[in-house]
Amino acid sequence: MLPFLARRAVMALAVVWLAASAAFFALRWAPGDALDATMARAGASEDQIAAQRAALGLDQPLPVQYARYWLDVARGRWGVSLVNGQPVTEVIAQNVRPTLTLALAALGIALALGVSLGVIDGLERPAGLRWAAGGLAALALAAPVYWTATLAIYALTVAVALFPGVGAEGPRAVLLPALVLGFHTAGSIARVTAASVRDAARGDFVRTARAKGLPDRDVVDHILRVGLLPVVSVAALQAGFLLGGTVITEMIFVRRGLGQVLLTAVTNRDYPVVQGLVVLSALVYTALNALADVLYQRLDPRTRREG
Amino acid sequence: MANERKRGRGPLRLGVLGVLLIGCLLLTAIVGALALGDDDDTTPDAGNMIVYGLTLNPSGFDPHIHQSSELGIPFYSLYDTLVYRHPQTMEFVPGLAERWEMAEDGLSWTFNLKQNVRFHDGTAFNAAAVAANLDRIMDPDLGSQKARVLLDAYTGYEIVDPYTITLRLSQPYAPLLDVLSQVYLGIASPAALQANTNNSYQWHQVGTGPYKLDEFVPGSFIRLVRNEEYDWGPVFYAPVTDGSLDTIEFRFYIDPATRSLALESGELQVVGELLPTDAELLAGNVEVTVYQVPVPGTPQQFFFNTRHAPLDNVTVRQALIYGTNRTEIIDAVYQGRSPIAHGPLTSTVLHYDPEVEAMYPFDLDQARALLASQGLQDLDNNGILEFEGEPLELTMVFSSWNQMPDVAQLIQSQWRELGIDVELIQVPDFPSLRQRVRDDDYDVIAFYDFSVEPSLLNRFYLSGAVNNWSGLSDPQLDQTLYEAMRQTDPAARATLYSAAQQRIMEQAVVLPIREYVNLVGVSSDLDGVVFSAQGWWPLLRNFQYSG
Repeated sequence: MLPFLARRAVMALAVVWLAASAAFFALRWAPGDALDATMARAGASEDQIAAQRAALGLDQPLPVQYARYWLDVARGRWGVSLVNGQPVTEVIAQNVRPTLTLALAALGIALALGVSLGVIDGLERPAGLRWAAGGLAALALAAPVYWTATLAIYALTVAVALFPGVGAEGPRAVLLPALVLGFHTAGSIARVTAASVRDAARGDFVRTARAKGLPDRDVVDHILRVGLLPVVSVAALQAGFLLGGTVITEMIFVRRGLGQVLLTAVTNRDYPVVQGLVVLSALVYTALNALADVLYQRLDPRTRREG
Repeated sequence: MANERKRGRGPLRLGVLGVLLIGCLLLTAIVGALALGDDDDTTPDAGNMIVYGLTLNPSGFDPHIHQSSELGIPFYSLYDTLVYRHPQTMEFVPGLAERWEMAEDGLSWTFNLKQNVRFHDGTAFNAAAVAANLDRIMDPDLGSQKARVLLDAYTGYEIVDPYTITLRLSQPYAPLLDVLSQVYLGIASPAALQANTNNSYQWHQVGTGPYKLDEFVPGSFIRLVRNEEYDWGPVFYAPVTDGSLDTIEFRFYIDPATRSLALESGELQVVGELLPTDAELLAGNVEVTVYQVPVPGTPQQFFFNTRHAPLDNVTVRQALIYGTNRTEIIDAVYQGRSPIAHGPLTSTVLHYDPEVEAMYPFDLDQARALLASQGLQDLDNNGILEFEGEPLELTMVFSSWNQMPDVAQLIQSQWRELGIDVELIQVPDFPSLRQRVRDDDYDVIAFYDFSVEPSLLNRFYLSGAVNNWSGLSDPQLDQTLYEAMRQTDPAARATLYSAAQQRIMEQAVVLPIREYVNLVGVSSDLDGVVFSAQGWWPLLRNFQYSG
């Protein structure tokens, strides 16, 4: 276990370094900078803009800025927003909980819906529902979040006021955005589940079990025990993507969160904020993947190493 | 890992699906616990309350530091300014200053301040408070993006007595009172500024205005409550009645498509910048009224890049203005809900000159004749004019704001009639526009801004100015604009700005499209929906529930 953790930690650091460096250079390669978004837009003179740019250290050569960034990070300083001077850690702390709530709720819905659809599709029963399940999964994959969200808002908050309207506060407000985001995430879970269950159902052990006269209920259980294993990896993968998926969902549903922060920060070329968020996502992503691997080994005796 | 477990059914006989179900339930419980912690503190005794939708989540909310017009929507009612512009007469009326006077040389202004004014934190307002605010704005460490820029010729102050302050200028500066009437120069409590850092002050703002900050949860909401002691407001503020608003909660409706839906679901009582098509749909809804609020400034417009052929030729630029059917654009894109723009300023800006309206009527024949007169002809009969042997193609750069992509597409098809190909380039944000300008990589580019003060022209048309994206360098115009900045006599200023507007249109460096109109959806049981002279900022004091 320990060497495993150490290996994982090194890998996580490598991923974080790569992601943060990519973000660092990609952002600076993007047209314009934070001063364009603020002072130039407000009509300041080129002299005033240049003075402020120097004050923020943005006039330094890229390698210097890059080195300075890592030196700061090494000392635990994640920087302050170029636009409003707020510490990056504070920005993240202020906004992390609503995003986490939405992402976890969506993941729960996605798992429940995705696995159900996948099992129906994969086992081909109830036979009548198979096409419906496959179709729904395809729709979840194909339709843009934007479209479903706007449709759901109109149908479920305006036409029939089943859910609180857009921008409502309180615990119930998370339901509709989580349903929409969860629905879309369910698509790929359903696809993977269906394929894997279908495979497992063709396995020799199934024939053996049936030949031995095992009741159908137990045969299904045997199939699922094997067929549902890949759900662990795909769920971890999707959980990583969910953080990104919240960007659009938060915007449409008027929810506070990291997605909105990211959107604003990119528009304003607020480098430290974007880099902070990229590092955070990289950490979450590697952690989830490590967790999935551990879980997989636990659940599937075939992957356990001897010793 | 070596322990051999028998895979038997436990006493509960759960099965694989059962285990999954339990997992999902656990997840739901975690989410529930997290969601219950969500701020659901809409105070039950909020009295007359509205939710007001902001259309973007500005990256900062400190009026002294940040530049967004949006921040003024809540904070114009939290702060008072030294002077106000009357929204109807456009004249200056007393705010925190009860009288003011310009020195004869125009190099200083003296303000006599109101007494018995108190900040929301109970501290007294006086000349020292004004001084503390000016010091803060001018402090380079603050990094003021707009207020400091607006103050321009300001060099310092002198406290004459506790309720009199004199501001000094490096040269006569006609826009000074207008600057002081904007939310960016709102007077904040020195005690609150002291108690906070430059960063944390934005969550704890304290002014003297008719509403005070109750709570600000970043990214989520801003809640204002009425300041019961407020009796020093400008003349245009309505007295408090039973229908006046006690509580206003601002939330961020960034996606335009959901604004009208939130209005219809009753989640929201006021929101600006509705899509024109949604405004059309809401017209049938008796519970929502759509106000068309003109916002003074430049029109929604495109600049011609005069640094490159063939647009370095004034006749070609004139032809393009003649060849643009603005009525068609406004009808198709804005459902007819905007006046056509004719000059570099909208008709609601001070010293607007209506002479520009007759300069460029839509006239395809005239446009074609002008192009032909400059040797632009379709020699190979493929429908596209040739310029120096090459087919004429112009690059049009714009961002996605305010239906600009639709406008650009219509212009593309209209100019095709003239035999000009237009390549459309949509960029995502302002820094990308700036980069295009730095790279000098455009023929036509869209940008506009808002102000009721005609000196707004400076940043777009002075030689070398920061937003002079047409590349115009016209000594005659420069001189007129500089003179107008120093000229404090209104009649003389009007003459100068007339000359400037006409000069700009003679040079044909700008293609004005429409005067900006903010489509504000308001719940129909609200009256007194009035906006400040600057157009963007609501006078929340005057909003009332009827009946």
